[in-house]
Amino acid sequence: MHRHPPVSDTASAAVVVEDLHKRFGELEVLKGVSLTAREGDVITLIGSSGSGKSTLLRCINMLEIPDEGRIVIGGEAIGLKKARGGRVTVPADTRQVERIRTKLGMVFQSFNLWTHMTILQNVIEAPIHVLGVPRLEAVERARMLLDKVGILAKADSYPVQLSGGQQQRAAIARALAMQPKVMLFDEPTSALDPELVGEVLRVIRQLADEGNTMILVTHEMGFAREVASKVVFLHQGRIEEEGAPDKVLTNPDSDRVRQFLSRHLSGAA
Amino acid sequence: MLELLSFGPNGWGGQLLTGTAMTVAVAVSAFAFGIVMGSLGASAKLSHSLILNALADVYTTVVRGIPELLVIYLLFFGGNGVVSAIASAFGYDGRVELNAFTIGVVAVGLISGAYSTEVIRGAVRSVPFGQIEAARACGMGRWLILRRVLVPQTMRFALPGLGNVWQLTLKDTALVSVTALAELMRATHLAAGATREPFLFYSAAAVLYLALTTVSTILFDRAEQTANRGVRRA
Repeated sequence: MHRHPPVSDTASAAVVVEDLHKRFGELEVLKGVSLTAREGDVITLIGSSGSGKSTLLRCINMLEIPDEGRIVIGGEAIGLKKARGGRVTVPADTRQVERIRTKLGMVFQSFNLWTHMTILQNVIEAPIHVLGVPRLEAVERARMLLDKVGILAKADSYPVQLSGGQQQRAAIARALAMQPKVMLFDEPTSALDPELVGEVLRVIRQLADEGNTMILVTHEMGFAREVASKVVFLHQGRIEEEGAPDKVLTNPDSDRVRQFLSRHLSGAA
Repeated sequence: MLELLSFGPNGWGGQLLTGTAMTVAVAVSAFAFGIVMGSLGASAKLSHSLILNALADVYTTVVRGIPELLVIYLLFFGGNGVVSAIASAFGYDGRVELNAFTIGVVAVGLISGAYSTEVIRGAVRSVPFGQIEAARACGMGRWLILRRVLVPQTMRFALPGLGNVWQLTLKDTALVSVTALAELMRATHLAAGATREPFLFYSAAAVLYLALTTVSTILFDRAEQTANRGVRRA
């Protein structure tokens, strides 16, 4: 992998989110959020639980369908349309959504490895069946990725035989196997025992250093400061403050961010 | 007396064996038909369409709510009429006769399918949603998710229940003997009447049914082990 040259042109940004709204029943979780990730950006989304940060991430690859707003991935806008008399929003073209999802690698809080497949089978599944990569090539690449995340020895084990940290690293390898343009991480270390957090963060940091475009939802403030090119703080469905990590995480303008940080850095979260 | 069970000219062994083969054929076909009905029924019950929900509810309520023997009688005496009506609706004028085998398979299959519906529905709901979401996030379409993730995961939860349904189905085939199909029960009945040794032949039939259920239990246990690879045993 190589470091991408910085791109300033918004039209060629990796991910553009414009004025996103999302409701769950009566509850409006996102109230107009806009976000741009250029190639090579590492954006961390922080905020209290219920602030909408995970929903925002899940809207980017359409695991949640936004009610209003626009999402543009690599210059291609995701088509949305109203259905059932305008009451719900659905993808205009599910094939487009499926194709765009192949460009977005997703890592879940609870890993979500397929439990009936070995680690290797997990990693080669989508490249073979979705992208049509020849089996031998997929296996070779999968072994390279498993080696990179440090669990090549577990290739033929089932997920249940691995620790949480190993499972999450396997899930990262599975996402990388699609050679995505952008990696999305949804609280990747929140389900892990404290002593296993470090091994997963090390892998994510390496991906950041290699110039991968990434958007991370995380509660690890120290990590956010180290790897992020931009920190976005969400509060009740809106962006409260965003900017360089040194600014937002050490000297924020917003009192809410200040309060949040004092709670989180003292460990009383 | 054991000569009566032999394969010789005075023995009924040949008939019992053919009957057993017919029983297995009816049971396997009915179980397979039942799995198809059960998958359709479970999809209907899990769908968001109220009409499909209602149709599937009617199916399982009616079939599970009346005696199995009655289902067979209804199909035996009404099945030909229904099929002829459907055939003429498609422009075929001749009379359509369903043979006893087909009626037996459809009748027992409908019963089997009603029970499979509930087993499969419960199994699908046991699959953690994250398994499906991970597949979606990789760009997999709905058929690929069904084939590669949902069905294998569902099998793991459904197999113990389906093993039960299989045993019920196998035993329900005995009811098909009322249509004079020469399965094991019918063959036993004929032999018992002709030789006036009913206890001997019904005992032999019991042993044969037990042999079938024992073998199938072993096969289902093996299948469960395969489906459960990657699952930690409690």
